[in-house]
This record gives sequence, C-alpha cells and structure tokens, in this order.
Amino acid sequence: MLLNGIRGRSFSRAPRSGGKEGEQIMSLSLRESVQTVSDPKSLDASVKEVFKLMLGVSCQRESAPHVASGEFESVTAVVGFGGMLSGACVFRSQGDVAMKVAAHMTGMEFNSVDDTVKDAIGEVCNMLAGAWKGKVPELAAHCGLSVPAVITGRDYNLHVQAPEFQLNHAYSFEGARFSVTIICDGLQ
Amino acid sequence: MSEIRTLIVDDSSVMRKIVERALRQAGIDPLVVHEAGSGIEGIDVLKAKQVDLILSDINMPSMDGLEFLRQIQAQNLAPGVPVVMITTESSEEHVKQAIQAGARGYIRKPFTAEQVKERVLPLLNAA
Repeated sequence: MLLNGIRGRSFSRAPRSGGKEGEQIMSLSLRESVQTVSDPKSLDASVKEVFKLMLGVSCQRESAPHVASGEFESVTAVVGFGGMLSGACVFRSQGDVAMKVAAHMTGMEFNSVDDTVKDAIGEVCNMLAGAWKGKVPELAAHCGLSVPAVITGRDYNLHVQAPEFQLNHAYSFEGARFSVTIICDGLQ
Repeated sequence: MSEIRTLIVDDSSVMRKIVERALRQAGIDPLVVHEAGSGIEGIDVLKAKQVDLILSDINMPSMDGLEFLRQIQAQNLAPGVPVVMITTESSEEHVKQAIQAGARGYIRKPFTAEQVKERVLPLLNAA
C-alpha cells in the first residue's frame, strides 16, 4: 500500500477565499509554521479529545510504538489531506480493539469486524484528522480531507515514500492499544 | 414538546446513530428520525417527508453537505426549516460557506450532547 499515491482526485479542494484578503491568506506558507504543524503535542491533544468526547474514555500515550501483529486481523483507516498540506492520517489497531472502539461509540457489542465497526473506525480517523488540522489555523482553512478508506486483513505493511515529516504515536485506553500516524508528504 | 421530525444526513451510519442519541440526550423527545447517507438521498427524503429540523455532515461522497444545502434552497424543499451542519471541517471559511448556503448552525465533530442541545434547541424554540 503506497500512501503517497492516495492524494489526488478523491480530495475535496481546500476552499479559496476571494479578493485581496484571500490572496494574502493563500500566499501564506506552512513552511514557516512547520514546527507547529509537526508538534507531537497537537496529535496527542487531538487523540485525547476525540476519544474523550466520542467514546467517553481517557487515552494515554504509550512510549513504545504500536506494531500490529500479522497473526491477527488488523484494521487500518486512512483519511487523506489535500491542499496546503498533502498526506494522510492513519489509524491502526487489531480487530478486537477496533470492535472495542465501535462498541464505546455505538453502545452495541460486536463479535467481528463488520461494516459498522469499519464505519466507526473510519469516522474516528476522520475526526482525528479534522481535530489535528484544526490545531493550526492556516491548515484548518486551506487543507481538505478525503472521505475515509478502511482496510482490514492480516499480515500487511504500510509503506510511505520519504515523507516530509511523520508522527507515529501509540496510545491506549482500558488496556487496548492502537496507533495514529500523521504522514506529510508535501507542504506548500 | 410536540414530535420533532428530523432528517440526519451523514455517510456514516454510526454517526447518524450518535447524532440521534445526542438529540435524545438533549431532551428533544419525542423524536422521529429520517436518515440519509448522502445529499442525494437527503433530497429524496425531503421530497417525500416533511421535517422540522435537518442535521447534515459536509464531507460526503456523491453530493456533499454544502451542495445539499444549495439544492434545498434552489428547489425550495424545506422552507423555514433550520439546517445545522455537523462536521470535522470547522475553519471560519467553512462556517462562512455553510451560512452563505443557508445553514443556521454549525457543530464541530467531535461533539457533546450538551453542544448539540445549545445549538439546536434555540432553533426549534424559535421555529
């Protein structure tokens, strides 16, 4: 799976402002605020906010990176960024954790990674992407989100070709571990 | 409160259920909910049903929430019915676009039932 290939047609375009004010805004460069954009604290705050408000659970950042075992089914959701920043937000967990996330969101119980679980994980990833880009005003206004794509299976890897920067954090709630990755492969 | 007929438009069935639950938690009850998975489905529902409130996502495939809003206005499908956008897109530019397209309120995902109550109840009381 080549995440760099994801950007393109599927993105909703970042809105353009008209007139002089709009031109000034569009002349801004994210390169000047790359430290803010790549601040790990923004991702941690976004994950904690989404899980607290939508699942009602507290999340902790884990020191060791989360590695999904090829032995078990895993669920990966991807939401692409387009516009001033291109790249993707990736949520990844094992199937049982995905079911637990969906159960907290819906109040239902799940025995398999069915369409509702995939839908829930896609929405979580969508909210994580939105919350993260919302931390930087230029990004919030001039970076669009794609609709989520969800991949399930065993023993697959994610390959990213030379990103501009990447944040890969592991988190846990109630003993369930998952990872959230922000991949930036282009900045204006 | 009399029965509130609500249309919830979101491509995620999970989010539609969460929004419905938040409306009930906000005390909007009795509630009759119609669901649509896209703007196109939302238009079809409005052609067949009368509603008192519309809640719509923005970022959806086939017809997004802003185009859905424009179509409602152009086809005069729900005159006077308040529309509230519920979306991850929360910049001033997005809010401005939604208001220009006819939205009366804006809720950012993730949200709490309390936020839904604060944004939606005044619109229903004013109707």
